[in-house]
Amino acid sequence: MVKRRSIGFWMAALPIAFLLAFVGLPTVESFLYTLGYTGGPNAVVSAMAQNQVVAHHGPTLGVYTELFKMSPFRSDFISTLWVTILSVILLLVASWVIALYLRFSNGLLARIASTLYLIPMFIPSVIASYALVTFWNAGGFVDALAKHLGDPNFPSFGYTLFGVVIGNVWTGLPFSVLMLASGLRNVPDSLIEAARDVGARAWTVSLKILLPMNTLPLVIVTTFSCIGVLGAYTVPYLMGPTAPQLLGVAMANFFSAYNEPQQAEAMAVMVFILASVVGTWYVMANLKLDRRSGRI
Amino acid sequence: MQTPVQASTLPMTPHHRTLAPTAVMSKSLATALVVALLVFVLGPLVVLILWAFAGEWYYPALLPQQFSLSWWSTVLSDSHFGHSVLLSFTFAPIVTILSAFLCLPAAYAFSRYQFPGRRAMFIGIFATNAFPKMGLYIAIAGILYAVHLMDTFWGVIVIQMINTIVVMTWIPAAAFSSVPKSLEEAARDVGAGPFRTFWYVTLPMARPGIIVALIQAFLASFDEAQGTFLVGAPNYVTMPVQMYSMVTNYPQQAAAVYSILLSIPSFILLLLIRKYIVGGYFAAGFRMK
Repeated sequence: MVKRRSIGFWMAALPIAFLLAFVGLPTVESFLYTLGYTGGPNAVVSAMAQNQVVAHHGPTLGVYTELFKMSPFRSDFISTLWVTILSVILLLVASWVIALYLRFSNGLLARIASTLYLIPMFIPSVIASYALVTFWNAGGFVDALAKHLGDPNFPSFGYTLFGVVIGNVWTGLPFSVLMLASGLRNVPDSLIEAARDVGARAWTVSLKILLPMNTLPLVIVTTFSCIGVLGAYTVPYLMGPTAPQLLGVAMANFFSAYNEPQQAEAMAVMVFILASVVGTWYVMANLKLDRRSGRI
Repeated sequence: MQTPVQASTLPMTPHHRTLAPTAVMSKSLATALVVALLVFVLGPLVVLILWAFAGEWYYPALLPQQFSLSWWSTVLSDSHFGHSVLLSFTFAPIVTILSAFLCLPAAYAFSRYQFPGRRAMFIGIFATNAFPKMGLYIAIAGILYAVHLMDTFWGVIVIQMINTIVVMTWIPAAAFSSVPKSLEEAARDVGAGPFRTFWYVTLPMARPGIIVALIQAFLASFDEAQGTFLVGAPNYVTMPVQMYSMVTNYPQQAAAVYSILLSIPSFILLLLIRKYIVGGYFAAGFRMK
């Protein structure tokens, strides 16, 4: 057994070593960079950087305070938060409804729906964003349709923050419906039958039985969507406004257009901290479930 | 040849569509839901396809005034196009294979062995997802400069592999876990060695999950644009990187044609594994064990 344990460790260590070298190390290094340490592996990047805060007497939070003093950055930061929250809420509601429908319906309509929700997975995100912005943009198809239907003032969502929300929901749909649908599949029919026998309505069954039995899929969808949206680049870059920008786009601009890599990394660290908070929830939910089922 | 997957070996119990607590949800409500989904999901794609065949299309017409195939020949005869297709189809298989070599043993280990640090490692793989890719690429760029991998073939490989590790570890790990230990033990009892057991019992039964992971990894590499641009430009311009410049610098029709061409490989590959993805092999990977 001792031998098998060490074999398992070394097998698992391969991808971990790769990740330590190419994710762990850069993450730590960029974190130190934002605290003002410009030497070592950061020397190459910092040699060309502008507006750098350098640590003279221990670590400094100068980059962060400077960023928050800028009002454009503050609005970028706040926009990122609300776009993320709104996207994830809409995504959860939409995919819960679709997953419920798929769980309890049969026939042609359900078969069509079960193909439809999966389609965004088949489309690379660059193309999805491009198609969506063409569709929802001023002068685009929805705009033209609204005009034909007699509403010339219908808002166009291309290059707006709500457009980014639409993009996030579109691209996130397959993952969240898949997770929720496979969770709903594990709820035994007999349980729902029993609830209905004692007179529970569909609404009650959905909220009082199915929802609590699917906390883990719901946590998975929430955390993975939150993390994906927080650091996203393609969708907000192609669909979002020039200002305010979401942090994923802002950090790319600070790096390449303004030549301020330290500020870019500081934004990355902020997104990472926000994502870690959500991520911890995912880990805790898994551990809690394991404990209950007696694995630990 | 497909190995039949028994229901008991699937990560999820099979689907029963017998009851209808949503009977209250009238047929018309269901129709409205599906129509809304149809317009929301397919609308943008249909319009994009129309654009690819449009000669002239001025607002506010709902259909192009004039259809044309001229943009197809323009894009297909462009030398940049052939080059970027070739590059994309070079990187994606190499990244997938390297990632499989790196991650599949780990997936097996996570599924079958208890070893110190196992849970911490699993969480560590998850944590790499939490650092925003753009910030990560910027930081890696510093390291790649230092080791002279910037603007090189292997630099792009490294960048693209980062996005494949999670799917390549988690989904196969769940697939290995879904193989009943009793079957492996039965094979061992009749005298099969550990490798024979793995090759003839475990691997065939975990195959759908592994295939899902391989194709997801292939597509992650195939669709990756930001990191490839940062590390590979100007020498390694893959299809999605090319797409960024198409979107901003070319007429709508050219970008639409290019979009369709770039979507074809993803579409075909995902079609091949659709039933496994819906069957729960994908979802099972996200449940930590």
